Amino acid sequence: MSVKMEQIGKKFGTFEALKQIDLEVETGEFIAILGPSGCGKTTLLRLLAGFLSPTDGQISIEEEEVGNRKKSVPPEKRNIGMVFQQFALWPHLNVEEHIKFPLEHHRFCSKMSTSEKKKRVEEVLDIVELNLFKKRMPQALSGGQKQRVALARAIAPSPALLLMDEPLSNLDAELRMEMRKEIQALHRLTKATIIYVTHDQGEALAMADRIVVMNKGEIEQVGTPKEIYTKPTSTFVASFVGKANLLKGEWQEDTFRPGLNKALRFNGEAVTKEMKAKGLYPVRPEQFQVLPSDANKEGIPAVITSVQYQGKEIHYTVQAEQGEWTVHTDMFSNFSLGDQIFLTLENSFREKEAYRRPQLVRQS
Amino acid sequence: MNTTQPNKRIMPTRALSSMFHSKKLGKILALVAILIIFLVPIYRLVLLSFQQDGQLSLANYTNLLMDPKTWDVLYNTVIMVLGSTLIAVTLGVTLAFLVAYTDIRAKKLMQIFFVLPFIIPSYISTLAWTQFLGANGLYGKMVSALPFSLEPINLYSMAGIIFVLGFSHYPLVYLLSVGVLRKIPRELEQASRVSGASAFNTFKKVTLPLALPGIASGGFLAFLANLDNFGIPAFLGIPAQISVLSTYIYQQVVGFGPTAFERAATLSVLLGVVALLGIFIQWLLLKKSKRIETTVEDKKPRFLLGKKRIWIEVFLWSFFLLSSVVPFVSMGMTSLVSAYGLDFTLENITLKNYQYIFETSAKSERAIFNSLKLAGITTLIGIVLGTAFAYYRVRRPNKTNQFQELAISMPYALPGTVMALSMIFAWMEPIPGFNPGIYGSILILFIAYFTRFFILQVRGSITAVMQVDITMEEAAQVSGSNGYSKWRKILLPLLLPGILSGAFLVFLTALTELTVSSLLWSSNAETIGVVIFSFEQAGYSTYSTAFSSVIIGLIVVGMLLLYFIETYWKRKVGKA
Repeated sequence: MSVKMEQIGKKFGTFEALKQIDLEVETGEFIAILGPSGCGKTTLLRLLAGFLSPTDGQISIEEEEVGNRKKSVPPEKRNIGMVFQQFALWPHLNVEEHIKFPLEHHRFCSKMSTSEKKKRVEEVLDIVELNLFKKRMPQALSGGQKQRVALARAIAPSPALLLMDEPLSNLDAELRMEMRKEIQALHRLTKATIIYVTHDQGEALAMADRIVVMNKGEIEQVGTPKEIYTKPTSTFVASFVGKANLLKGEWQEDTFRPGLNKALRFNGEAVTKEMKAKGLYPVRPEQFQVLPSDANKEGIPAVITSVQYQGKEIHYTVQAEQGEWTVHTDMFSNFSLGDQIFLTLENSFREKEAYRRPQLVRQS
Repeated sequence: MNTTQPNKRIMPTRALSSMFHSKKLGKILALVAILIIFLVPIYRLVLLSFQQDGQLSLANYTNLLMDPKTWDVLYNTVIMVLGSTLIAVTLGVTLAFLVAYTDIRAKKLMQIFFVLPFIIPSYISTLAWTQFLGANGLYGKMVSALPFSLEPINLYSMAGIIFVLGFSHYPLVYLLSVGVLRKIPRELEQASRVSGASAFNTFKKVTLPLALPGIASGGFLAFLANLDNFGIPAFLGIPAQISVLSTYIYQQVVGFGPTAFERAATLSVLLGVVALLGIFIQWLLLKKSKRIETTVEDKKPRFLLGKKRIWIEVFLWSFFLLSSVVPFVSMGMTSLVSAYGLDFTLENITLKNYQYIFETSAKSERAIFNSLKLAGITTLIGIVLGTAFAYYRVRRPNKTNQFQELAISMPYALPGTVMALSMIFAWMEPIPGFNPGIYGSILILFIAYFTRFFILQVRGSITAVMQVDITMEEAAQVSGSNGYSKWRKILLPLLLPGILSGAFLVFLTALTELTVSSLLWSSNAETIGVVIFSFEQAGYSTYSTAFSSVIIGLIVVGMLLLYFIETYWKRKVGKA
């Protein structure tokens, strides 16, 4: 096991930034810590790096206890690498010198010979594909190249744990997509344990083996991207990750009866017991079916309050009796502002009826 | 490389706690040292002004205020400060407007003239002005070429003091105003134009109100500089028997009357209180002006001058030449003639004045050596301690070091004469009844320079540290380096330009210092400023101008050196 956090708490004065965090990370795992700003995810990362020390609980990296209430191993003595949000490249050192720096100072590299270090620099340059730029100064590099130098510096000493603090937030949208692939490739290649902090659910879903969703200093849910997306255990995860609308109603075993159309039944085999206990059915925007009229009374009535054409999709905001919901449809739907519509799910069925596929209504 | 060391002990708790104790002890020692060096002298000065015959009393104040001479001096001071501040604000704001908003050319070259008065000590520029406008100066020659006759200008008068002060301090107003003007978003003016206001009304109703706090803050800075200045009223006022507060305090101390020190202390408290009030108002105004600013300076012209541009440019360059170049040429010419008053002709030109300074006069040789030594040591100690303090202040800001910074800035905020006087009281008998002879030796100068100029290094280093993002250090730390190697390989290279420009300022200011030294020097402990002052007071203008020319030469060499270091650095590191 690579990282173990037990009952971690962190207070700044009277403010509790983290409350009783328990987390175990396997060697080689890619963990994304996902949450809105102020949820404590960066605090957690800085505790792991050693820039902060916990006010409660203990942290161990590779079975070595590095931090607890009384003592904390400083960052330079931990077997870690870190990629910073603003890259943090040293303006007076070139690409090669950036990679060499940790090899000369990292506690776990001290036994390397000069020729080994040289070889390692070349190796790392190969991995990040910067061989041609090794004499360049940071200010002569593009955003993506800077990011790769930051990655190279972090992986050079082969740390047991690689920490990343929103490393893609400073890049433009297209480059972000590309760097996602590169970080995944890097993970496969180095087999390093990665803890990756982000507020972008897309990044977390795309790259991580497991996602830790945090909110208000606590862990809301830990699971694979698919579990987090399709089976949220809390209303926060459902709305933050899946952007789900929370329909109120009654549960009977696996059957949900929405409060706004009691004749309707939704199949809820995939919904977690936590949501069932709250009497909620989370519906992600793309799960809704939109019907223009409700001859068979098989939908929940709503009025369209905003239409945003996105190209391949159309995003609607609709007003239902329980509040405002978001609905995404394909580009072929054609509703206008103020239209009365009826919402249903693909897996809905009417009472005393066996489950059947509703007819798709398309207007073109 | 993933060496696993199971359950390794981090650090024995006892060692850790003992380190904590020594750290705490160090902090307390630093606080006490700062109190003793920077605040106790001021406290002693204030205390002395409230004492007579060892008793607490207000007698010093009542005596002083009943003396008609005091009111005379106060009146002179008020006239001098108001007049020169008016000149400084008028010149500063006009030039700032032209540079910030119009399309005049060669603005970068003009910067040199705005910076010059900060680098050249005011007593040297006074000397230059007196040579320019004096009996045999270039002014007389230029005027005699005119078809009509002009009255010669006598600088040794109240008007002369006001004129030289105003011309020395307008860059303060300029620098603050130009920044504020450039930071006013162009869109605010455009919004006003779109709403139907004319260009003039826009300037009156939008630009000016927004710029006013910044301009006023610059005006207060000039006010303080005029109040604080010693060199100009000393060089021009003392021969004409015009006393203002700063020179009057000096005259009290060197006059050694029976109650000289008490009177000087009392006057100093008056002067100090006014100066501190001024600084406080300036700080408030600056804070207010910062609220409306954006962070980006918009350097594109907003007013196109068209055909008038060339005339304004001609006027500006004549102004710069006449106010910043010609006086120094005049001074150089005086330094080259064999006797004062002779015409500048080939047979009168000689280097014997320079020879006198470098070879004959033991005093000037000592002064150069003393000033270099004082400035060098002050700078070196300042670099180490100032950067250490700045690092601590920026990275771990807290109430204690905020207070410490304020304490360190006090001796610089106070007028030089006040500060020098407080040094005498503090170090003549560091412990009452015990006189180790610090006052009367070069040691008092060293202590005074350090106390007064330390803040300059601290400010330079604080700016340098703030520009290095904390993640630069954190990246070094996760790469396994903290302490020595982090400083050597990451921090020092990044901080160096900022530290050096602070150090350069300290060195230059200390090298040519006059105000403090004029009260603290003793024989064998003369400084450059003191010797030039004494040459001038004794009427040896050829020597004083020669010595001043040497100093100007040294300053130019220093500036070029700094410029090349910076250019080299920028080429190597580039803009981060």
